[in-house]
Amino acid sequence: MENQKVWFVTGASKGLGLTLVKTLLNNGINVAATSRNLNDLIKAVGEHENFLPLSVDLINEESVETAVSQTLSKFGQVDVVVNNAGYGMVGALEELSDKESRENFDVNVFGSLNVIRKVLPQLRKQQSGHIFNISSIGGFSGNFPGFGIYCATKFAVVGFTESLAAEVKSMGIKATVVEPGYFRTAFLTQGSLAVPSAPIDAYKEVRESQAVHQNDINNQQPGDPAKAVEVIIEAAKSENPPLHLFLGPDAYQIADAKIADVQRDMANWKYLATATNFDEVGA
Amino acid sequence: MGMKKVWFITGASKGLGLSLVNQLLKAGQSVAATSRNIDELKKAVNADTGKFLPLAVNLADEKSVEDAIKATIAKFERIDVVINNAGYGIGGSIEELTDAETRNSFDVNVFGTLNVIRKASPYLRAQRSGHIINIASIAGIAGATGWAIYAATKSAVIALSEVSAEDLKEFGVKVTVVAPGAFRTSFLTTDSLILAANPIAEYEEVRAIHSKYLKMDGQQVGDPEKAAAAMISLASMPNPPVHLLLGNDAFQRANTKIEALTKEFKDWKAITISTDFDN
Repeated sequence: MENQKVWFVTGASKGLGLTLVKTLLNNGINVAATSRNLNDLIKAVGEHENFLPLSVDLINEESVETAVSQTLSKFGQVDVVVNNAGYGMVGALEELSDKESRENFDVNVFGSLNVIRKVLPQLRKQQSGHIFNISSIGGFSGNFPGFGIYCATKFAVVGFTESLAAEVKSMGIKATVVEPGYFRTAFLTQGSLAVPSAPIDAYKEVRESQAVHQNDINNQQPGDPAKAVEVIIEAAKSENPPLHLFLGPDAYQIADAKIADVQRDMANWKYLATATNFDEVGA
Repeated sequence: MGMKKVWFITGASKGLGLSLVNQLLKAGQSVAATSRNIDELKKAVNADTGKFLPLAVNLADEKSVEDAIKATIAKFERIDVVINNAGYGIGGSIEELTDAETRNSFDVNVFGTLNVIRKASPYLRAQRSGHIINIASIAGIAGATGWAIYAATKSAVIALSEVSAEDLKEFGVKVTVVAPGAFRTSFLTTDSLILAANPIAEYEEVRAIHSKYLKMDGQQVGDPEKAAAAMISLASMPNPPVHLLLGNDAFQRANTKIEALTKEFKDWKAITISTDFDN
């Protein structure tokens, strides 16, 4: 039964996406996977009978729609959708231009929304399906100096996934937002992590955070992508999957600290926060 | 209110923005305020004072924002408090809202705010002082049925506020994100709120939620004048919060969200912490 499921995975030519696709194919599962570059994707994954590699420009709605149609033509259905494509960006808000900021949102946010928009008609028809949106622990905590735009994109993914889960529940469709900590992928390597084209020297702490990520954290991440992928595959089998799936002891700790920060702000400022009702309404 | 300050406020022709401008001018503060339509803004504020600078700005256009900041500096010589207030509600399921409808709301709610921060930051850094106040929403903390894109934009605002609070600290610049609940402004009127132009019949719950919200129009428990006063008070605090909720409803929704999240979080802890390399 599980083997007859069809997965649709974006950003599959490297990182978590590639590990996921390979693991699924090894388990005999049908997989449609996307990348900007078809050759890169085929080279990375190899040829499989139950594999449909797709060249897709995620920010182009038509390109996404075509990819979904091709998937349905080959496999007849879509059961699990994984919005995995995305990239990191480091820089102060002042340093990153409108164009650079929007490019990060294009892939991390609008690309995922295009996929969701184009795949939902089929999932609604099936009255089943599970959408996984890969966010980040940076989608829950902003305690990542210099990652303002990246965190904004990933917070956005968390925000729309929460609403998505609620709006498609009655149609038998599930949604989960995955919030991984640091996993050992190419995420922080040069060419993968975007940096400002016009950095401003005065932002010393931002530069420091950038250097720490590029030099110290890169290739030293504690998280094993193979284990992350196993957890996602298990969650897809679950009758009651979590809405938020944090991955990694670091993610757990950072999320815990964030909740404590917000609770402290809430407690300290409650007097101001709760004094704004009209007088006649009262508290 | 203490010291006289220079304020830069976006989306000032109605709602919270207008309440802010009126209260500040009454207190003798200097205010530069933006709106798409300068005539509406002038009409709404109706202040004959040299301390008011009304500005026609398209927030999604970096150049237009840059010009507005420059005009403010030219008139008042500094900017002390920036309030990114412009924004609008957008309702619909993700499937119903087109890429264009979705991007339009990000243009104002997110990219407009980023443009203002990007263009104001050089002056705030040079002054080594300033306070950026970004208006998000409780929807940015606790997402709800029918408001996915709105929640996404407001979550993004919370994120960029949290990170920039840290990034701007070394320059003496503060950042606060305000998450209001329901306030009695024109937010829920058909003039302000955008709903999906092409609804899909199957989304019955989304439709039901929207009509419930629209019925709330004019009944919201929050007083915008009090919200404006609370925001204004932030600017004279030596240690303002990074997050400020506004409204009992917002406070309660945040608490409920944190409880649910904490439970889910603990239920899945064993799996969450199982993914590191063995060594």
